[in-house]
Order: sequence, then structure tokens, then C-alpha cells
Amino acid sequence: MSHGGHLLFIIALLPFIGALVPGIMIRAGRNACAAFTAVPTAIAFIMLLILAPQVMRGEVITFQLEWLPQLGLSASFFLDGLGLLFACMITGVGLLITLYARFYLSGEDPMGQFYTYLLLFQGAMLGIVLSDNILLLLIFWELTSLSSFLLIGYWKHLPEGRQGAKMALTVTGAGGLAMIGGMLILGNIAGSYNLTDILQAGDQIRTSDWYLPALILILLGAFTKSAQFPFHFWLPHAMAAPTPVSAYLHSATMVKAGVFLMARMWPVLSGTDAWFYIVATTGLITMVLGALIALFKDDLKALLAFSTVSHLGLLTMLLGFGTDKAAIAAVFHIINHLTFKAALFMTAGIVDHETHTRDIKRLGGLRHLMPITFLIGTVAALSMAGIPLFNGFLSKEMMLEEASHTDWWGSHYAVPVLATIGALLSVAYSFRFISHVFLGPQREDYPHTPHDPPFGMWAAPALLTLLVIIIGVAPFLAEGIVRAAANAVTGQELKFYLKIWHGVTPALWMSGIAVLGGLVLLGLHRPLDAAWIKAPRPEAKAIFDRLMAGTVGLMRGITEATHTGAISRYLAIFSVAAVALGWAAYSGSGLSAPTRTHLPVPPVIAVGWVMLIVATISVVGMHHHRFRALILIGIIGLSISAGFAYLSAPDLALTQISVETVTILLLLLALHFLPKETPKESSMGRKLRDGIIALTAGGGVGALAYAFLLRDIDTISDYHIANSYEGGGGTNVVNVILVDFRGYDTYGEIIVLGIAGFVIYALMHALLDGPAARRLRNTDYSQDRSRDRHPLMMVVVTRVLMPIAVVVGLYIFLRGHNQPGGGFVAGLVIAIALLMQYMASGFAWTQERKKIEYHTMIGFGVVIAGLTGVGAWLAGQPFLTSAYTYVHLPPVEEFELATAMLFDLGVFLTVLGAVMLMLYSLSRIARFAGQTVNVGPMDYDPGHPYTKEEDEGAR
Amino acid sequence: MIQADLNVILPEIALSVFAMAALIFAVYTSKDKLAPTLVWVSAAVLVAVAAFIGLNGSGENIAFGGMFVDDAFSRFAKIVILLSAAAVLVMSQEYMQRRDLLRFEYPVLIVLASVGMMMMVSAGDLMALYMGLELQSLSLYVVASLRRDSVKSTEAGLKYFVLGALSSGLLLYGASLVYGYAGTTLFSGIIQTATEEDISLGLLFGLIFVISGLAFKVSAVPFHMWTPDVYEGSPTPVTAFFATAPKVAAMGLFARVLHDAFGGAVPDWSQVVALLSVLSMFLGAVAAIGQTNIKRLMAYSSIAHMGYALMGLAAGTAFGVQAMLVYMAIYVTMNVGTFAFILMMERDGQPVTDIGALRMYSKREPGKALAMLILLFSLAGVPPMLGFFGKFYVLQAAYQADLIWLAVAGVVASVIGAFYYLRIVFYMYFGEDTGEDLDTGGNPVLSGFLMASAAIMVVGIVNMFGVEGAAEAAAAVLVN
Repeated sequence: MSHGGHLLFIIALLPFIGALVPGIMIRAGRNACAAFTAVPTAIAFIMLLILAPQVMRGEVITFQLEWLPQLGLSASFFLDGLGLLFACMITGVGLLITLYARFYLSGEDPMGQFYTYLLLFQGAMLGIVLSDNILLLLIFWELTSLSSFLLIGYWKHLPEGRQGAKMALTVTGAGGLAMIGGMLILGNIAGSYNLTDILQAGDQIRTSDWYLPALILILLGAFTKSAQFPFHFWLPHAMAAPTPVSAYLHSATMVKAGVFLMARMWPVLSGTDAWFYIVATTGLITMVLGALIALFKDDLKALLAFSTVSHLGLLTMLLGFGTDKAAIAAVFHIINHLTFKAALFMTAGIVDHETHTRDIKRLGGLRHLMPITFLIGTVAALSMAGIPLFNGFLSKEMMLEEASHTDWWGSHYAVPVLATIGALLSVAYSFRFISHVFLGPQREDYPHTPHDPPFGMWAAPALLTLLVIIIGVAPFLAEGIVRAAANAVTGQELKFYLKIWHGVTPALWMSGIAVLGGLVLLGLHRPLDAAWIKAPRPEAKAIFDRLMAGTVGLMRGITEATHTGAISRYLAIFSVAAVALGWAAYSGSGLSAPTRTHLPVPPVIAVGWVMLIVATISVVGMHHHRFRALILIGIIGLSISAGFAYLSAPDLALTQISVETVTILLLLLALHFLPKETPKESSMGRKLRDGIIALTAGGGVGALAYAFLLRDIDTISDYHIANSYEGGGGTNVVNVILVDFRGYDTYGEIIVLGIAGFVIYALMHALLDGPAARRLRNTDYSQDRSRDRHPLMMVVVTRVLMPIAVVVGLYIFLRGHNQPGGGFVAGLVIAIALLMQYMASGFAWTQERKKIEYHTMIGFGVVIAGLTGVGAWLAGQPFLTSAYTYVHLPPVEEFELATAMLFDLGVFLTVLGAVMLMLYSLSRIARFAGQTVNVGPMDYDPGHPYTKEEDEGAR
Repeated sequence: MIQADLNVILPEIALSVFAMAALIFAVYTSKDKLAPTLVWVSAAVLVAVAAFIGLNGSGENIAFGGMFVDDAFSRFAKIVILLSAAAVLVMSQEYMQRRDLLRFEYPVLIVLASVGMMMMVSAGDLMALYMGLELQSLSLYVVASLRRDSVKSTEAGLKYFVLGALSSGLLLYGASLVYGYAGTTLFSGIIQTATEEDISLGLLFGLIFVISGLAFKVSAVPFHMWTPDVYEGSPTPVTAFFATAPKVAAMGLFARVLHDAFGGAVPDWSQVVALLSVLSMFLGAVAAIGQTNIKRLMAYSSIAHMGYALMGLAAGTAFGVQAMLVYMAIYVTMNVGTFAFILMMERDGQPVTDIGALRMYSKREPGKALAMLILLFSLAGVPPMLGFFGKFYVLQAAYQADLIWLAVAGVVASVIGAFYYLRIVFYMYFGEDTGEDLDTGGNPVLSGFLMASAAIMVVGIVNMFGVEGAAEAAAAVLVN
């Protein structure tokens, strides 16, 4: 940290602290408010002057404070010639603007707010020019966007203000964000986010692969901020802001931030073809285009705004040339432009303030009414035109001199000619400013009779014009600061002198042509203006608006096309994405050769397989008809069960068959209360599309499974097979897994199953109270009611089967531990037997004979299973550890008793209870819906055929 | 043994017991009349548990044979999750009560979802992962359709459920492939098999499908489709909840799976995550532009933000994870504030979601407009708001991991995305006054959250309240 570093930190901080004051102070009056704004600015300015001699000697003052070191962000500041120049401009003009605004703003405007924003902005600007860390610079950069947004929008009631603010915010905000990317790349190439380090890493950066993206991203930030073509349009539209704001932001400081950044990065980024062609070309186009438009603007501030655009283009072009002399010219012109343009803006503000109009067509002849303003405006405008003895002339000469020997894409003339045209137009609009506002006959129809403003208002521009003349006559006075700044830009010691007279050079000729041509143009202004108005020309704002509207429309179109809200589309996208990702994984690593061959396929199995496929396709085809679909699903389930049996998985087969039966039966019952057919939904095209997607996804999964099966994998089966008997005391591995290895899972599952049963019950209960109840009551089921709902054969068969089924269930339950079977299957088998009773003999009949509540059954099941698990604790084992022993009862053979059996009993009870509870819930609906329930086992006595009346009644 | 295990999951146990006790208590006492109290009590409990975790947790504690991991990473995520859940709960009380939406199940479900989320970020095993995920998801499906008499709300819940089930299926499929090929469900076991040099194709498929399933949970493109509809259809407080805690949990889980289980095969997933990231950022930015409903807009915004968070993950480095965590912490804070504001948007007591209603809002409510301006700038990632730092963190992480294209794409997307945030700012400050004013005033709790969140966005830039260091420590445990 060098000497004076702390001062630097205070300078950067002062405006932010100061910003708090005016907002609070407004009650103390406008003068106090303005004074309190001036104080921090003045202190900062004085501190800068204290540091100035050091900097002029070539020292760099630095200040370092760690902030977020991991991110590379530090609160570091440094002050070199360039920084000093800009900092002095910002604080110096800031003081003048504070004074000017005090008189310019009317009593109704909330002045405290204005000054707060102004100081905030000033602090941000100072931050940009003093930052030694590019992240810090970014922060201040966007802060200027933010505070300028508030300042531009200060007069909210003006519609143009609105548009201007929106555009300024959109364009500069987006540019700033783009710059983040550029800075990120830059910092990473250089290995540090400190500007001083980056400035040392020029070669490294220029040779990097990522130089061009970084350059483009940074230039996007700089061009948008400095209103370079094609982003030039926002600046004139921001002119709806109060004039002090225009003078400060849009001529002196903010718009120069882009130029500053280019100057700052000059040692690092310049010197390449890309830099020259992008920067110099953009600058040249902006310069000429801005000047041309300025000539035909009738609004005083718009004229000045476009002229600012043009001059910013000039600066950009000079920096783009990439030569030392051009850099000197640029630095010098920055000072000169500041002086005359700020003065001109303030003049325009005075004119507006006094005459209540800014329309040039309604002005003229003001020189007698406002002599002081006339004097100030004329001097400043002459400087802008580049007339000798005023400072604008000097820097313009230097610019033309540089332009005169710059080749562009092999052409010697392109740059000099265009530069001369730019200068010529500049002369024309400068003279127009003077002649159409101040010269000419005095008019009677000003909206408000003007006179010179109070001293406070013209003092600031007067001071600036004084500078215009001083520098213009004695340029060597500015030499020190220009040299210091130019040295900082180029990063080397430059030797040069600023002189008024350079002899008769090409530049002088070009200047002469420009002045003469400018006068001619002014003379022809009227016809030209008419032609200009008639001529079709692209209006940047309209293009911007249309572009925005178009983009928004396009985006909305895209969104609406994809996010239709239709879940089928979402599912389609989901599936396609999953398939694509799977494909990516597959193609990324490739498949090794299969290590197994698949088993032989006997004809029967092949037929079964084909049937399975046919059934599956038929389900899709017939899904509108729910009953058929259900039957087909049943067929599929049975085929799969057969497959399990064939592939030596009897347990799975048994479970699958029983589960299939139960679900199909329950679904059949539920189907009764649903519409028979589903609505037709898709067009043919969509069906085709969805079909393809479904086939791809399904085929993908199938292919994956097939590929896995053909390759060796380490399965975990071996472990279970090896430990099943020794650890779990059973030879049926599947059952041992269920009740022992993974007893916890099973325990969880039966709880879930039980809850599911309860939930269905509860939902049905709720259903019977809601609006659905009315629908149910009104449904007419007589249409599809069979005359013989409980056929004799069925009733008899189910009743005969009942005890057999129970015995089978018991058998399956008992053998479960060692042979295919177990509590789960047993529960299902008995459930099926009971289900059949319900179906065959009717709900009421069965219900009457039911002795145990299903709720209780579920509860007991879970409790028994749980207690079995807890029992393990008594033996000092973890929860659900299984124990078994062999028992020998004389009449039977020795058999095994395992605690797992008790657990299985719990499973059995829960499964049975849950299934029956679901059934019971359905039956409640049926009865609620007014279905008659038979009390006897059969609807009619088969011995007594229907009489005719009965037959009628049944229908 | 079991004692030690239970000690580790004490916070989860406490919350679960609280949730169940609250449920039973409310059922047997005054039901919905108790709901407002229950909301505040639940929030207090959530905060208390967060404080307990923050103050009490240290080191790395592994429970249940590695299935559950309590380390700096999980603690970081849990604190963010719990605090944001508590904030959203408190914010919703007045809003839901006034609209007769406040059921006593609501706070209970939120607490249960939080338990699920805590489980997710602590998962050390595929099964623990799935359990946490489903506990969370099931709670969320229900709260999404909390407004039972609204077609939109029920549709949102149903859509979320159907798509969520599909994604869960995908995840399970992937998980079983991983199990099949790694021979274990423990992350610590998988990481030994899943090395860069020889990751088997089966494992790779498993990884890809697990990522797809998780991508759904963080609503990354192209698995994001549910987000706008669910955000729009759900009651606004629920939307606020969706946008905050579950996103952190899903991101945390994402990071855990990728680093704890597949940390040895970074290149195999880095590209996929990068792809999800870039798609999310762009779709989020592009699709939000056309939105006029602020809830839909926030949905796309959250998609874009998830893209940025994923960028940190795609880096596959400790710094990337740290960036992601910082990003998520900032994101959640911003969203809490923004949704506090959205909850206050009403005209004549009716909720308004059209952004056009914000025209000239600054004239009537300068304070709130300014707070919202700060939040929107922060969401857009404009310096110097905290949002910029989050974004910069992930960009830098991507850059350092040689994903420069991703970083540049992220910048471009943020430029596009800035447009719609700034448009709202513009409406608030310069919009044409239509005379259809929003109600002024508003609930003090909501205003408080809005102001606090905005203040954090500005003040937080000083040192990020130390989140940076905590995130660094958290990331260090995860990536090694």
C-alpha cells in the first residue's frame, strides 16, 4: 500500500456516505441540501488534488483490502494518470452540476432524493475509475446502471422518461452482464482479478484461445455503456431526464465509462486485428451516424445527445487505432469533450428553462435576450465544431492526423474520408446550434419570454467555457494531466507536446474542408431537412421495440408450444429425454461382447411369448373398452406367472397368480361403478407419435434388460442361497428373504398394505358424503343387471371350494418357510376364497356370516409381526432377528419352528384383512348406490321359475 | 450401538415425533381452529431444530452402518432447508387463513416434508435416498392440491404426482441397476466400484437414470415440465415452499449422490449435468420472457436458477459444490423475499398474479418497490447484489473446471434472463398508471420478510454472513 492509499479509499467511500445526507436533509431547505451534496464531492476533489502531484510523477497509488478472497474479490483501489483524470472530471463536474441543479430544479421536485441519487451515481462512477479489481469494477459498473436508472426516471410523469429508462436499463444492464463473462475469462487467463496484474499479462491474454470471446463480451459492456453503434439508440432516449442529469451522466461521465474501460484495457486487449476491426470500425460508424442524425434533430437535447454519440464514436475509434498517438488524442479529446459538451448541455437546459421549449424550430434570435447564455453557448459550440483557438480544434486535429494514415482493410481512403465527413457534419450541427438558437431575428412567439438566468445557473457552464478557451489557447497547461493519463493508457513513457499549430498538415486540409463543407450544409439545411424527413430511414427505437416485441412473441410462442399443460405431452418429453440420455450413456461407452448365450426357446414358450405380446398390444388397442382391457391385463398377468413357473421361480409364480387374481377381481368390482368406456382422446397423428415414443422407450428398456441378461454379473443370490438355511432356518430362499433377511422391509410393507386398506375405506367413507354420493344415487344400474346375479352353479362351487381353499391356504402358509408359499400367498389364497363368496352369494349374505372385523385383523397382523420382532430383543438380539428350533412331536415327523413363522402369521393376517377391507369398501358403495342386496344365497328359487310380473320387476 | 445411531438422527426423530404428535393432537382437539397456532409452533420447532443442528453438530457421524451421514455438508443443507421451511410456513399463515385454506395438516405436512429433505441430504445409501425422497415428495403432492375445490390446484397436484411417480420409477430403475452392478446400495461401496477407468455400462446406465430422476426433483430441463403448472396451480404459499426448501434438498441430494457415490467417475456425469444446466438456464430465461403471471414467471426463474446451481455441480470439484451451496443459500433467501412480496399482491383482498398490476407500484409503496427492485436485480445477477456473487461463484467454478463454454453460455443466458426481471422493475417504476391499484399495506410478517431479504441482498455483500466459509467446509467433506 503506497503513500496516500487510505486517502484513496476515503475518496471512493465519501459519496456513498454523503448520499445518506441529502435525503434526510431536505427539510432543512434546498440550499442546505445542495451544500451537503457539495461537501463530500468537494472533499473528494481536494483529496484528489493532494494526490495529483504524486500521480503526475508517475507513481501509482494503491489501496488493498481483502473482501471475498476465495472469489478473487478485493476492495482494492489504485490511482494512476487515467484514474486521476477521470476522478477529477467526475468530482469536478459533479460540483458544478450540484450547483446548477440547485437552480435548475423547481420547488416541487423532490430535491433530496435527486441529490441522493446523484451522489450514489457519483460514488459508483468514482468506483469504476479507481477500482484495482475487475470484479469490484463490475460492481460499480452495474451500480451506475442502477443509479442512472433512478436518475433518468426522476421525472416519472413524462412518458418519454419511461421509455428512455426502460431502454437504458435493458441495454446497459444486458451489456454489463455480458461483461461479467468477459471479466471472468480475463481474470482466469491472467490468474488474478487485480487490474494491475491483468495489465501485466497482456501477451498471455492476447495469445489465449479465449481472447476473442473475452474481447467481445467486454466490448459488449463497453459499447452498450458508451452508446456505440448498434446500441447508440438508448442514449438520446434517455434525454427525458432532467438536464443536470443529461449533462452529468450522458455527456461527462457515465457514457464515458465504456471509453474508460477500453482505455483501461488498452494495454491488454489492443494491438490485435480483432481489436482494430471491431473497435475502430464501430467507432467510425458511430461517429458518422451520430453526427448525421444530430444535424436533423430539432430537439436541442436530442441534437446534443446524438453529437455525444458521435464524439463517443470518435473516442472509440481513436482507441481502436491502437497507436500511441491515437491514445494521446483520445485522452485529450476526453477532456475537451467534457468541457464543451457539459457546457452545451447546461446551456440547452438554461434555454429550456427560460423559454419553456427545446424545439429549435421555435427558437432563434435569443442573442439579444440572453447575451450571457449566447456567449457561453457559442464558445462551447465553436469548440465542438473544431474551430481554432478552442480546445475542440486541437484534439480534432490530432484525430484527423491519425485518421489520415490509417488503412482499413487495405484501403487508404476509407478512414480519412469518413473521418472528414464526420468532422464536417459536426461543424454543421454545431453551427446550426448557434445560428438556429441564438442568431436570426428575435421572435415574438416564445412560449415564455426568456432572459438570462441567475448567476448560480450560468456560473457552471461559464467556468467550463473558460476552460475551453484556456486549453484552446494554451494547450501546454493541460499537458501534464494528458501525459499522465496517456502514459497510464499505453503503459509506457510517452514524449509529446500539445501545440496549437502543427503546420500545414493533411489534417489541416481535412479540417478546412470540414469547416467549409459544414457551412455549406448549414446553408442547405432547410431542403436537406425536408428530404431527411421524407427519406425512409431505420428508426433505431422502433427497431428496438419491434425486436423486443418480436423476441417476446417468439419466446412466448416457443413456451406455449412446449408447455401446453397437457400431461401427455409432458410425459412424452420426459420419456424422450430419458431415452436420449440412456442412448448417450450407451453410445458413450459401448457394449462389451455378450458372455452368455440365451436359453433355447421351445415352441410352446415362443407361442406364449407371442401371446403375451399380442395381449399387450391388444390392451393398448382396446383400452377404451375397460372390461376387455381388464381381461387382457389378466391374461398378461397369467402369462407372466407362467413364465416365472417355467423359469424355475415357483414362489414368484405363486405370488403373481394370487396377486393377479385378487387385483383383477377387485378391479372388476370397482369397474362396476365406473363408465364402461373411456373417452376417445387422440387424433391419429398423435397416436402414431405417442406410439413411436412408447415403442422406443419400451424397446430401449427391453434391449437393456436383454443386454444385461447376456452378460455375467455378480449377483447377490449366492449369498442368500448360502445363508438361507443356516441363518434363517428355511430352505425356501425367497420366503427367508421376506421374513428374515429383509424382515424389516416386509414389516414396513405390511404396514403400508394395511394403511392402504384403511385409506380406501376412509376415502369411500368420505365419498359417500360428497357430491359423488348424489351421482351414485342417481346412477341407473338396471341396464346391465343380470337377471340371475348369483347363479346357482357358482354359489355351490364357491361354497364347496371354501373349506378346500382354506386348507390350501393353511398348507401354503405352513410349508412356506421351506417350500414355495408363505404368509403372503396364503393370505391371498384365503382372500380369494372369501372374495368368491362375496361375488357368488352377494355382499349382504356374506357380510352376515362374517365374524371378525377386517380392521381388527389388520391390526392384529401388524401387532403380531411387531411383537415377533420385539421378541428378539428379549433374547438380546436386534429387532426382528429370527430364531428357530426343531421340534419332534411323536405322531408327526420332526419339524422346524421358527419365530419367522409368527412373523409370517402377521403378514398373513394383514394381507387378508387389507384385501377384505378393500372389498368391503366397494360393497358399501354398491349398497349405497341402491343396488338391491340379496338376503338369501340366491336371488330366486330355481324350483320356481319367474312369473311374468316378477320378470318385469327384475328388469 | 443403536443408541449411537439414534443419537445421530435425533433431529429427524424429534421432528417426526412432533409431526405425528401434532397430527394426533389436532385431530382429537379443535382441528382447523388449531392450525394458526400449529403453524407458528411448527415454525418454531423447525427453527429450534436448525439451531440445534447448527450449534451442536460437529464432525462426521455415521449412523446405521453408513446409511445415514451427518456431516458439515448435510448440516449446511439442513439448516438452509429448515430455516426456509420455517420462513415459508410463517409467511403462509395469514394468507391461507384469510382464504380458508389453512388446514391443520398443512404445517404437519411441511414438517414431514422437511424430515424427508433432511433425510435426503444425509443419505448415505440408495435406500435412505429413496426413503427421504419419497417422504418429501408424498408430502409435496398433497400440499400442491391443498386447495381441493380448485380445479387448478388439484390438477397441479395430480400432474405433479403422475410425473413424480414416473421420475421416481426412473430413479428406482437406475438405483437397482447401480445396486446390481455395484453389489451394494451404500454410497461408500459404490464409489469403490464406480471408478473412472472401469465403470461398467450397467453402472453407467444406473447413474444416468438416477440423475434423470433427480433432475426431475430439481426441475432441470427437460424434466422440468411440471414446474410451471404446479407453481401456478398451487396456493401461493405452497408455491413459495416449492421454490425454496425442496430445491435445496434436491440439490443437496444430487451433490451427495454424484460425489459420495460417483465421485470417482466425474467425467462420466459432468457432461450430463452440464447439459442439464445449460438447457435449464436457457429454457428458464427464454420461457419466462413471455409470462405475465408472476407465479409462472417464478417457476421459469427457478428452472433457470437450478441451471446455475447445476453448473456448480457440473464442475465436479469441491469449489463447484461450494459454489452450488452458496448459490442455493442466496437463491432461497431471494425467493423467500420475492414470494413474501407476491403473497402481498392483492387487489380488494383478492390475490393478483398478473405482473401488469404492478404498474407504478413505486408511487404508492416506495419502500416495498425498492425492496423488490433490489431482489429482482439480485435475481437477475446484477452486481452488487448478492445474487451476482452466487452467479459469479458458479461461473468461476465452471471456468476452473475447464467448462468455459458452460460459463459463457451461463453469462449469455443471464443476459437474456435479465430482461424479464428488469421488466418488472420497469413496470413498478415507470409503468403506465392504469388506476387499478394493488392494495397497500399488507401483512407485517410478509413485509418484514420482504425487507429483511432485500436488506440481506445488499448488506450480505460485505461478508455473506460467513456462509462462504461454512459452504467451503461443507464442500470439503463431500469432495475429497
